[in-house]
Amino acid sequence: MKTIEFKLTAFTWIIITLAVTAWVFILPLQAVATILVVQLAGLLYVKHDRMTLAAIGGLAVFTGMMVLLQLLFGSSLEVSLTGGLRMLVMTMAFLCMLATTRIQDIAKTLVDRFHLPVEYAFMLTTALRFVPNFLEDSAITLDAQSCRGYSNRGSFLKHMVSYVVVIRPLVMRAVAKSETLALAMELKGFGKNTYKNMPQEPLTIVDFLALLLVVFLSSYPFWAKLLK
Amino acid sequence: MIEAKDINFAYRRGVPVLKDIECTIKDGEFVALLGHNGSGKTTLSRLFMALDHPRSGQILIDGKDIVNLEPADLADKIGYVFQNPDLQILADTVFDEVAYGPRAKKLTEANVKTQVEAALAAMGLSSLAGGYPRVLSFGQKRRLGVAAALALNPRTLILDEITNGQDAAEQTRMMEYLKAINEERGVTIILITHDMGIVRRYAKRTLVLTDGELVFDGTPQDLFEGGEHLEAWGLRRPVVSALGANFGVSAATVDELCAHLVKGDECDEDD
Repeated sequence: MKTIEFKLTAFTWIIITLAVTAWVFILPLQAVATILVVQLAGLLYVKHDRMTLAAIGGLAVFTGMMVLLQLLFGSSLEVSLTGGLRMLVMTMAFLCMLATTRIQDIAKTLVDRFHLPVEYAFMLTTALRFVPNFLEDSAITLDAQSCRGYSNRGSFLKHMVSYVVVIRPLVMRAVAKSETLALAMELKGFGKNTYKNMPQEPLTIVDFLALLLVVFLSSYPFWAKLLK
Repeated sequence: MIEAKDINFAYRRGVPVLKDIECTIKDGEFVALLGHNGSGKTTLSRLFMALDHPRSGQILIDGKDIVNLEPADLADKIGYVFQNPDLQILADTVFDEVAYGPRAKKLTEANVKTQVEAALAAMGLSSLAGGYPRVLSFGQKRRLGVAAALALNPRTLILDEITNGQDAAEQTRMMEYLKAINEERGVTIILITHDMGIVRRYAKRTLVLTDGELVFDGTPQDLFEGGEHLEAWGLRRPVVSALGANFGVSAATVDELCAHLVKGDECDEDD
């Protein structure tokens, strides 16, 4: 499984990620739940470091909050849970893509194969690159906080309070980083030729097989009707 | 006292970062933790502070296993200064930044004030107490990190590459302060650094890690004058030791070297 995932090109990963966002609405709920299990198993097999676990944990907490919000606004438990599951599977698809594909490959594919303007591709990839950086920085800042005698042990509320303390330093750092990045881009002559010199990733047999699976699952509403 | 007993650690399965580390750091020692980039120095120091826990083996602080402790439990025993000073700034003024630890430990405001002022004075930051910490220079931020660790009066200080980005005068001032608290107050210093001149001059003991293994445990003099594995370990002999070796003498500072060479006379050169 590890070999297959690493052999998939950025193009295939983008298609899979986009397809998953469609699948969560067209496939039966059991199939969506199965996709989640496959995503989790695959992701933890490929990467089981602290950052990945933190990302999965963060997504789970965010999903829980979304479910709670839906309940508060009067949705039924079933609808809220279904909505939460769909959102989780969609975001997990992005996480799987990020865990297995280099960000510069994603950018190049978006420009070359999807004809996205360079500026938009760069904006997207910068935002994506920001996520692991932000997680890493927040882990260090929480560690620094703990080393200074502030215990993170205790209730969920206490955890949330400790996060509130570190949000501001992290945002300040992010702003400083974006300024440095903008300067560095200018100095390096960022423009339409930015991704031109990177080698193109050729599609392999594994990519074609994966794309066939995407077509098969995406056409579920048609062949499900035929089978009835 | 910090004891590492047969420590093994890995961030990812199958990629060991520390292998069978066995060492004891006694109270009052001045230890330099050395090695090439990625050798495991920072990881070992993180284990001492309970920021991570070993996959196997034990870390004992004063004879007590810290496996169930978190860094906050050790904060008044061990002060830890991170490599990147930007990521440890939590407050809006220099004073509040240093006061963060004492306040987290719920000291009275009078005690907080006393300890913060002493820590700021020690690091030469008193005049900046009301300033905004994020606009300080890199070197000042580093000193702020050390002041924040000092404010809890820890018995051990772990300092991760704190001399980087400091000018020569500030570097000397900081190291002389660390030397003084080590000699006068018996504070244990564990210094992670790539500056071999500082190691030769200030450390009393060196631990060298290579690819996660502890390959040397001895005095800086033995390390730099034994010397045959230094390059393989990613270390370089300090200039003063290299020069001294050419003349067949052992010296930690330029003054010492000159004194040897001119048979006891003081040298005017500043090191």
